[in-house]
Amino acid sequence: MDTLGHTPGSKATGAVRVSQALKDVAKRVWHYKYIYLMLVPGLIFLVIFKYIPIYGLVLSFKEFMPKYGIMGSPWVGLDNFRYLWIEQDFWQSFFNTLIIAFMKILFVFPFPVFLAILINEIRAERYKKVLQTVYTFPHFLSWVVVSGMMFNLLSGSGAVNAIWASLGFDKINFLSNEGTFRWLLVGTEIWKQAGWSTIIYLAAIAGINQSLYEAATVDGANRLQKILHITWPCIKNVVVLMLIMRVGYMMDAGFMQIFNMYNRAVYDVADIIDTYIYRMSFERSVGFGITTAVGFFKGIVNIILLLTANTIAKKMGHSGIV
Amino acid sequence: MRQVESLKRFTLTDMVIGFFLTLFGIIIIYPFYNAILVSLVPQHVYVKTPFMLYPSEITLETYKFVFGNGALINGLKVTVYILIFGVIYNMLLTVLTAYALTKPLPGKKIIMGLIIFTLYFNGGLIPYYLLIGDIGLMDKIGSMIFPTGFTVLYMLIIKSFFEDLPQELEESAKIDGANDFTILFRIILPLSLPILATFSLYYCVERWNEWWNGMLFIKSAGKRPLQLILRTIVQDASDMLSSEAAMDASRDQKVFADGIKMASIIVTMFPVMCLYPFLQKYFVKGLTIGAVKS
Repeated sequence: MDTLGHTPGSKATGAVRVSQALKDVAKRVWHYKYIYLMLVPGLIFLVIFKYIPIYGLVLSFKEFMPKYGIMGSPWVGLDNFRYLWIEQDFWQSFFNTLIIAFMKILFVFPFPVFLAILINEIRAERYKKVLQTVYTFPHFLSWVVVSGMMFNLLSGSGAVNAIWASLGFDKINFLSNEGTFRWLLVGTEIWKQAGWSTIIYLAAIAGINQSLYEAATVDGANRLQKILHITWPCIKNVVVLMLIMRVGYMMDAGFMQIFNMYNRAVYDVADIIDTYIYRMSFERSVGFGITTAVGFFKGIVNIILLLTANTIAKKMGHSGIV
Repeated sequence: MRQVESLKRFTLTDMVIGFFLTLFGIIIIYPFYNAILVSLVPQHVYVKTPFMLYPSEITLETYKFVFGNGALINGLKVTVYILIFGVIYNMLLTVLTAYALTKPLPGKKIIMGLIIFTLYFNGGLIPYYLLIGDIGLMDKIGSMIFPTGFTVLYMLIIKSFFEDLPQELEESAKIDGANDFTILFRIILPLSLPILATFSLYYCVERWNEWWNGMLFIKSAGKRPLQLILRTIVQDASDMLSSEAAMDASRDQKVFADGIKMASIIVTMFPVMCLYPFLQKYFVKGLTIGAVKS
C-alpha cells in the first residue's frame, strides 16, 4: 500500500487509496476468475495431502490414542522427544542414515560423472545409443523388482556365490552379512541409478562448444588432456551443484531400497530413520506419538540441510533447488 | 571435424574405454538374463548349476503357474486401473496448475511459496497414514490414486514450457471470445503434446510401480496392486506357495520357488521392458529439459 500511496499525482486520502487498491486487486482477481478455478484442484490436493499431515506433526507432542484421533489425544509436552533421546535404536538409525548417505555420496555420486565422460568418448554412435538404453533402463524399475533379482543373484545358493565358490572362496550370504550389506546398497544403487544420472552430465557435455576441442586438437592435445582441460572444467559447475543438492538430501538414505532389501540379520547396520519409523509404528507398535516425533526430527534436520544447500548453490550463482 | 575424427584409427584408448563401458553394460544386463534363465530352467538344473550362460533345459511350468495364479492376474487388473485413472488425475492437476501459474495472478507468490515449501518439509509417515484413515480412503483403491497428485518438478518444467509458447495465439483466441479453459485445452495443450507425452510416461511408470500405498492402506487381498503381490512373492513365497495349486505342483516337483519368483518378476517388468527401447527418447527428454532449465 505504501508504494501505491507515494505514486506521483495521487491526491486521494488514505482510506480512499486503500479502497481503490482493493478494487484494483478485486478487478484483476475477477479478470482471472477461470485461472483461479484451474488452481482449485491442485490447491485442494496440496492442502489435503501435504498441509494436513504437516499439521499432524502436533502429534509429536501428544500421546496418540486411536479413539480420540490427533485432535483429541492428550498433550504430553516433550515426553516423546525425551524418550527418543535415550532410545539407542533411534540413534543407531540416525547414524546409519548418515553413514549410508555418506557412503553413497562418496561412491555412488561420482560414478555417473566418470561414466558420462567415458560415454562421450565413444565414437560409434550406434553403440553409444545401445549402451545408454541399457544403462538408463533399471531406473524405471521398482525396488521390489530390483531387490527380487538381486536376492536371487546374491543369495547363498545364487549365481554370484557359485562363481565365488568355484574360485575357491567360502560362500558369503551378502544379504544377511553385516560386513557386506552397506556395500550391497552402494552397488545396487549404482546398478539402478548411475545410468540415469549420466543424462544430466551428458546434456552438460553436449552443451560444450565444439570449437574448444578443435582448437585443442590443432594444438596437439591428446584425449586425456582434452578431458581434463575442456570437458571437466565445463561440467564442473553442474557436478558441484548436483553434489550440493545430494548433500541437502542426506537424510534420505534410500528408504525404498533398504526397506525392500534389508532383513533382521542386518538391522544394526542398515536400519535408517525411515525404516525405523515404519517398524516402530507398524511392527512394534511403539505409539504413533513417538514415531511422529522421529519424523518431525528428521524433517527439521532435513530442512536445515536443504536450506543450507540451497543457499550455497545460490551463492554460487545457480538458481537453487527449484 | 566429426568426419576427420571418425576416420582416425581405433586406438588403444578406444579399446580400454569400450571395454569398461561394455563391462558395465554386461553388469546391468546380467541380473535380467539370470532372472530369465532361472525362470526357464527346471529346479534340478538350477540347483546343480546356479551360474548359467544358457539354459540347458527349458520348461514353461513357472510361467504357467504365474498366469494360472489368480492373485497376480487380479493384481495386474488393479494396477491397470490405478494407472489409467491415476495418470489422468496426475496430468489434469499438473497441467491446470502449471498453466494457471503462468499468469500474473494476485497472490501468485503465496501460492508458489506454498507449493515450493512442500519440497522442503512434510509431515512424515504417521500423520500421512492417519490422514488416509480420516478421509475414508483406508482399504480403498483411491488410497493409491489420490495421494500422488502432481510432482512439483514436472509441473514447473511444464509451466516454463507453456511460458515459452508464442503469446499471439492466446491473444487472438481471447479476441475471438474464448475463455481460459478453451484456450488451455484447444490451443496450449495441442501445441505441447511431446512434453505432455514425456511426463505422462513418467507418471505411468510411477503408477505401474505402485506398491507402497497399497502396503500401507490396503487390507483386502482383491485390491492389492501387482507390485505389492510381487513383493510378497519375492520376500517370501509363503502367500503363494501355500495355496492349494502350489502344494499340488510342488508335490509333483514341477514348480520351484526361485523359478516362480523370477517368472513373476519377468512378467511384472515385461511391459516396461518391451516399451522402453522405443520410448526412450521421450523418457530422456524430460530430464534434459529439466537440466537445461536449471
